[in-house]
Amino acid sequence: MEFVLEAKHLRKEYQDKLALKGLDLQIKPGEIFCLLGQNGAGKSTTINLFLGFIQPTSGAAFINGLEVTRNITKVKEFLAYIPENVMLYPNLTGLENLALFSSLAGYDYQEAEITDYLVRAGLPADAVKRRVSGYSKGMRQKVGIAIAVAKHAKVLLLDEPTSGLDPKASNEFSELLLQLSAQGTAIFMATHDIFRAKEVGTRVGIMREGELVDVLGTTDLNANELEKLYLNYMH
Amino acid sequence: MVKSIAQKEFLSALRDARFLALSVIVLLLLLAATVVGLHSYYTLQHEREMAQEEVNHHFANSADRHPHRMAHYGSFAFRPKSSLSFLDFGLDSFTGTSLFLEAHKQNSSNFSQAQQSSSLIRFGEMTVAFILQMLIPLLIIFLCYGAFTQEKETGTLQLMLSQGVSLRQISWAKVAGYSQIVALVVAPALFLVSLLLFSQSGFNLNADLLLRLLLFIGAYLVYFFIFIVLSVVVSALNKRSSTALISLLGIWILSCIILPKAAANLGANLYTTPTKAQLDADVHDEVAQSINGHNSADERAAAFKKQLLVKYGVGSLEQLPVNADGLVMAASEAQSSQVYQKHFNRLTGIFQKQNRIAEYLGLLNPYLAVRHFSMSMAGSDFAHYVHYQKVAEKYRYNLAQTLNHIQATQVKYQDKTTRLSNATWKQIPPFRYSSPGVGWALKNQINSIIALLFWLFLVVVTGFKLIDKTKIV
Repeated sequence: MEFVLEAKHLRKEYQDKLALKGLDLQIKPGEIFCLLGQNGAGKSTTINLFLGFIQPTSGAAFINGLEVTRNITKVKEFLAYIPENVMLYPNLTGLENLALFSSLAGYDYQEAEITDYLVRAGLPADAVKRRVSGYSKGMRQKVGIAIAVAKHAKVLLLDEPTSGLDPKASNEFSELLLQLSAQGTAIFMATHDIFRAKEVGTRVGIMREGELVDVLGTTDLNANELEKLYLNYMH
Repeated sequence: MVKSIAQKEFLSALRDARFLALSVIVLLLLLAATVVGLHSYYTLQHEREMAQEEVNHHFANSADRHPHRMAHYGSFAFRPKSSLSFLDFGLDSFTGTSLFLEAHKQNSSNFSQAQQSSSLIRFGEMTVAFILQMLIPLLIIFLCYGAFTQEKETGTLQLMLSQGVSLRQISWAKVAGYSQIVALVVAPALFLVSLLLFSQSGFNLNADLLLRLLLFIGAYLVYFFIFIVLSVVVSALNKRSSTALISLLGIWILSCIILPKAAANLGANLYTTPTKAQLDADVHDEVAQSINGHNSADERAAAFKKQLLVKYGVGSLEQLPVNADGLVMAASEAQSSQVYQKHFNRLTGIFQKQNRIAEYLGLLNPYLAVRHFSMSMAGSDFAHYVHYQKVAEKYRYNLAQTLNHIQATQVKYQDKTTRLSNATWKQIPPFRYSSPGVGWALKNQINSIIALLFWLFLVVVTGFKLIDKTKIV
């Protein structure tokens, strides 16, 4: 299958607002597609449509060739989702959180395997058995990554995942994404971070008022040129 | 999948210090109410048994008396406490504990605890039933109000759904998890109840008692389940925890405080009970129309005596083979008893209609349904009280007629000086009361059972359908 994530004329209207204007998009395995745009541009709406959390007004979203609205449960087997702020369950440890979310996806891992996933995602080994209530945002994001990795998802949907992370944590996060991409995972990341998008992305899309106004290869231009272009679209 | 989420809810609640403290308080209250209730039951039951034995002894060992004098001397019928009444005092504290049984008159029950206590008793007692009916739902609300809202607020709901689990699966899992937590709070107290109850009889299980206890527990489990599902549904329909909590507390206040009061007031307004003075006057007027055995100038008594002469074919009352005075007393008793019974039935009919309003309102409020069912299984509801009154009246009537028969057959006409020894009174069986069986109690609880099942169906079917339509973002 050539594309694991696809949108065909995907449109979402609310009563008083057109949130997404007929999005057409294809993403191949191993590709990292970064979607740039202001708040309210339609980035999260796009992700929610791929997740099946909202119904499209017209058009269709496909995951691994399956139309999302018609295969709402089945498509979840192929995707993983990391929100802007992975909150998890504060009264459970990192290990217990990962065990829970993995079991929901149908994976019952042993404690050693779960620990391994968390440590590989960058969580300090001594934090694994501590309650999440004491974790920093960066640590919670790493648990979020571990949840996605442990699911062996073909598609990773990220909604501004590096927002609020310090540069070190953000950099570690980018490295993890590149590793997953190298393993064939298709990544769709909505972000405000132009430089991070240029650094990890294969392609970058610019969205304005629900419309994908441009798609660029990251090898075609440098970060400054991308920023200039982005700002031009925003004016 | 469901097991994992249920386990997560269970663990999270156990690790929540605030909830844990609240649970421990409720559990301690339950245990305390069990022990205090049982102690109160033992004390009251012992007092009543002693009192009944005392009056039986006095009656059987009375001085030599004329039989009709003995009928006026009378006896008492003490109402034994039902074995499960320590769980739910029901109306026991407000209804009387004993009836004075005498000739010509049906007395009302006297010496209720409420009459002998301070007015504080009217605010309700800390019984096991009170905690199960009022406080456990409150605990459930504090446990479940954030079931979905907290997941929405933190975004974990989306993360969970992205793993491939459905809203319905999450709902069932949460209900299962919360049920485990509630069981953890309630089970130790119910275990203690069973242990204390059956240790009384050396663990010789009484089938009726066991069945009553199982139905009592079963009804509360259904009630808690309804509250758990309702709380989860309300949480799913709200975006914020604060609005879910306020909505649920509103439901609790409406169900447990406002509607029960409204039901009682509505019943009392729709079906007005006569005042005691009015009732006594009505009875007195009607009884005055029947044969009066104590009035030698009574025309009805004279007519009855004439009929006796015709019936036996004799010319004077002295020639009768039986004492006419005894027969007049018997006829007078039969007529006055009918009058009393008619008014008693009318009054209990009004009370039953008032109660039925609350029973029907159980369809709007599961609290009312479980309250009625609980009292019934505990043997402390109005129907059990009326049963005792009827048994006591039957005994009173038979006692009066037995003594009238003795007068008619063992004492001569117009003889007011003959005294019979206590050997005669010893032959009269003393008052014994046994509560009706669980089958009888269940027949009176059809409305409550239907109401509880209706609510169970409503929250499970309609509630989960509403959850399916919940907006995720």
